[in-house]
Amino acid sequence: MAIIQVSNLKKSFGELEVLKDVSFEINKNDVVAVIGPSGSGKSTMLRSLVYLEQVNGGSIRVADDYLVKDGVYSSSQQIKQITAKMGMVFQHFNLFPHLTVRENLEIAPQVVKREAENVIRSRSAELLEKVGLADKANVYPAKLSGGQKQRVAIARALMMKPDILLFDEPTSALDPELTGEVLQVIKQLASEHMTMMVVTHEMGFAREVANRIMFMDNGEFVEAGTPEELFTNAKYERTRAFLQRALK
Amino acid sequence: MSADYILSITKPMLEGAQMTILLFLIAIVLSIPLGFLITLMARSSVKPLAWLAHTYVYVMRGTPLLLQLLFICFGLPLLPVIGEYLVMDRFVAACVGFVLNYAAYFAEIFRGGLLSIDKGQYEAAQVLGFSKWQTTTKIILPQMFRVALPAVSNEAITLVKDTALLYAVAVPELLHFAQTAVNRDFTIVPFFIAGVIYLLMTLLLTLLFKWLEKRFKFE
Repeated sequence: MAIIQVSNLKKSFGELEVLKDVSFEINKNDVVAVIGPSGSGKSTMLRSLVYLEQVNGGSIRVADDYLVKDGVYSSSQQIKQITAKMGMVFQHFNLFPHLTVRENLEIAPQVVKREAENVIRSRSAELLEKVGLADKANVYPAKLSGGQKQRVAIARALMMKPDILLFDEPTSALDPELTGEVLQVIKQLASEHMTMMVVTHEMGFAREVANRIMFMDNGEFVEAGTPEELFTNAKYERTRAFLQRALK
Repeated sequence: MSADYILSITKPMLEGAQMTILLFLIAIVLSIPLGFLITLMARSSVKPLAWLAHTYVYVMRGTPLLLQLLFICFGLPLLPVIGEYLVMDRFVAACVGFVLNYAAYFAEIFRGGLLSIDKGQYEAAQVLGFSKWQTTTKIILPQMFRVALPAVSNEAITLVKDTALLYAVAVPELLHFAQTAVNRDFTIVPFFIAGVIYLLMTLLLTLLFKWLEKRFKFE
């Protein structure tokens, strides 16, 4: 069964329709890359999944529970439980600048989950090791490069043990030479079968790491397929035109 | 001019300075939380509350502190019917005036501090499962206070000097004793000594806030 099922999602900002009847499914262990031109609704779609945007219609089901069903949201208690299954990594990292790297990782398990201190500490050490920043544990984010910040942000999201990790253009704010270290971490998570959805402009990365690519254009979900299907044999002309421009 | 003379006039001035410091401490300790409360009111979605907070800030910032002090000390008791219950000790009345006035300034400082916080901070906290209260206390307030620190420092130093307004409501403080000595002995020296005492107090504050800014640099 799909771990996320989205059907007929609609969202407008005033007159502007940013999501027009978007439907798709994410299965467990999927690594889905979402591509498409700027302003095509990719980020809005992703943000809707964790309730950072409220939709005007349609349904989002996560595992067995509806976040929103036919445009009607669940209770705020349920929304909290449902969105807790998902972690989010932002384009601009959004680390907490007044906390050290380690504190950034540990604050949510402490405050939100009230886990035992030693459990939290060993997990944060493990995750910092994993993203290659064990030596930066006591440093404030201001002292880190963009690539390092984003790796901390990924570790922070993983601290809450999400079933699904969502990435909103994780490398778009980085200098080109720093994107590699972040993509490497995402690649490693993919090899460990983390379920992920990545909004990205990195076509090479999408092709290499994703098992499915979704193409969005003008608020519509146009088509999805394996990287091979989409890159070599897209069904729709606008998908082909976009890929041609993007791969130039 | 003998050292004995200087000592003899400095002693009452230092005693007066105790009043200055007491007022400073009372005003700062009470006006900061009150100011923050007003900031929260101003941001409230309950319109009358926000409106009340904005009006309060407008009135307190838009009129002289001296007028406010005179109003509380000498004006309130003149009100019909309730006036007789509003007669306060003049020092207490002055404290009330300072707290109410400085709260308005601190409210504006904190409002500016809140505006400087990126909405990504709220979003990150929400996605990690923080409640509104947890987001405010653990994520937003620490950053707000850090941003507000230089402006709070500035305001605190202004407060030290504004305590001289106690003179106008006849509460004996530092400046009062300096003025008395000048009138009695016909010399300018007491004014210099008063100046030095104010400078020492503001120096201490400056050092304290410098230390705080360094301590909470987050680098």
